[in-house]
Amino acid sequence: MGKTLFEKIWESHIVVEKPNNPSLIYIDRHLVHEVTSPQAFEGLRMNNRKVRRPDLTIATMDHNVSTTDRSLPILDQTSSVQIKTLEKNCKYFGIKLFDIDSPNQGIVHVIGPQLGITLPGSTIVCGDSHTSTHGAFGALALGIGTSDVEHVLASQTMWLEKPKSFEIRVEGKRKNPHAVTAKDIVLSIIKNIGTGGGTGTVIEYRGEGITDLSMEQRMTICNMSIEAGARAGLIAPDEKTFDYLRDREYTPKNYESLVDSWKGNLKTDSDAKFEKEFTLHIDDIAPQVSWGTNPGMTCNVTDSIPSPDEFSNGDLNQKRGAEKALEYMALEPGTLIENIKIDRVFIGSCTNARLEDLIEASKVIKGQKISSHVQAMVVPGSQMVKKQAEEMGLDKIFIDANFEWREAGCSMCLGMNPDILSPGERCASTSNRNFEGRQGTGGRTHLVSPVMAAAAAIHGHFVDVRELDLD
Amino acid sequence: MKGNIIKYARDNIDTDVIIPGTYLKIHDYTELATHAMEGLDPDFHSKVKEGDFILSGKNFGCGSSREHAPIALSHSGIKAVLALSFARIFYRNAVDGAFLLPIEIEQDAYDGISENDEIEIDVSKNEITNITKNQTYKMKPFSEIIGKIIAAGGLFKYKPDQD
Repeated sequence: MGKTLFEKIWESHIVVEKPNNPSLIYIDRHLVHEVTSPQAFEGLRMNNRKVRRPDLTIATMDHNVSTTDRSLPILDQTSSVQIKTLEKNCKYFGIKLFDIDSPNQGIVHVIGPQLGITLPGSTIVCGDSHTSTHGAFGALALGIGTSDVEHVLASQTMWLEKPKSFEIRVEGKRKNPHAVTAKDIVLSIIKNIGTGGGTGTVIEYRGEGITDLSMEQRMTICNMSIEAGARAGLIAPDEKTFDYLRDREYTPKNYESLVDSWKGNLKTDSDAKFEKEFTLHIDDIAPQVSWGTNPGMTCNVTDSIPSPDEFSNGDLNQKRGAEKALEYMALEPGTLIENIKIDRVFIGSCTNARLEDLIEASKVIKGQKISSHVQAMVVPGSQMVKKQAEEMGLDKIFIDANFEWREAGCSMCLGMNPDILSPGERCASTSNRNFEGRQGTGGRTHLVSPVMAAAAAIHGHFVDVRELDLD
Repeated sequence: MKGNIIKYARDNIDTDVIIPGTYLKIHDYTELATHAMEGLDPDFHSKVKEGDFILSGKNFGCGSSREHAPIALSHSGIKAVLALSFARIFYRNAVDGAFLLPIEIEQDAYDGISENDEIEIDVSKNEITNITKNQTYKMKPFSEIIGKIIAAGGLFKYKPDQD
């Protein structure tokens, strides 16, 4: 029987395999940031261990960093300590660090691909759940906790039970690809399979609806695999993948011969079997808006808020969850999504803050002003994205519309730095999680695409972007 | 292992409510623990006792890979989380660092056990006894692999079977 892409990558990275034991898997790239690494480095020091492959380990600072003027000192002492600790650790252990002043600084999942560090067929780990993003390049990319970070630093390997393989087919063609985006595809998937639908699996996204997407859009899809509970998300590499990675700063010197070897190998065999399957048809899907407190609580922009009974299909916990979510979100069943007013707009995060996201959002905004009761910000995914956007004049479009134009980082996606919602504020956000308090205590998050967020900023409430002229 | 139950009768308890992002800068685990579950239950810190267990629904620990989540619960005194199912990174982190036992339960235990019930967990028999209500339930056994890592006392003490 043939093999899936996941099985091929898995098998080529096994160091130790014994029945009824986890497998020891070799890790090709380890990405490190300031929040989940300090205890891991401390563990190495306590045990007198070195970093086994500093040359395969790359660090940056993203979660905690200020997105305002970086010539000013960081006021939050604990943030400042965490950032300085990463600097000290990288120096001590000989790890390449893209620090706060580096032109390559940015969200770890944005900089990996744009620097050519993320490669097809490789294994990548990072102490961050959205590591699944790198799967868009046909890499097996896993989010890990701090104990595993330490294990990988020390050994360049990790113990892992083999996940199951899950095929998600995305079939059909979007009628308006500028209005119905990769974000809407992945939110539709999670709405259908649920936040636990991918638990214990590696998802491979396949079909015309996926191969049609650009690399940056594919990253949005793989990024949110974790929101369906999956270990990782994968897309088989093709010419778009190979083109994207060519001539990047860290693209390997023997790149063309690598591409030749990837072309034949890095795909699922036609007779391979997946352990789980789901198909989404996208011909008629609408822009999506989350209404609740997990990404599965999502509906079409043209819908109204479902009642907990409608949503739960008889499952008591689901019903209770929906009731609690509506209470937290201060929403009533039956309210039209388009009638929900918003206070804040956040265009940013490892899900949707790449150049293409900013280009698409800028088309909605050009020549307009944001609604007078809305505060809006753009936080580019990396300093390189920021620079490229500025070269195209996108910063002016956003600033003229009264958006704030910030420095790169995770920012309001997870509310670790000063970019947070105040209690009760409602935000249209291009990020990945609408959990209670995620963007600040009492903050209310609606997950949307960059174009939907941009349109909401202009109108002060959600609008169906299919009705705008975006071409 | 005996303890009392703190019950959250809902699915999808995520890592952002277990330990909100703003506290990920805290390196002192005792201090971290004072913010455990703050996003969902601000009274948690005042009511939790050493040896307590949490009981919850499906997909417990979904979201971020922050190991701070099982650490904050563990340093609050929580010895085990009983849930209908777990998100895998949380599950793995809990086991890797030997912070607490993630125990998968069936619907009968979820329905039968109430807040404050005194529970005894016997991992060797895969059995949960509700002392308060005089009931017993089966827990889902740990996989062979997970059982070995738990028995070793975490990932760093684990060695694979020798030939």
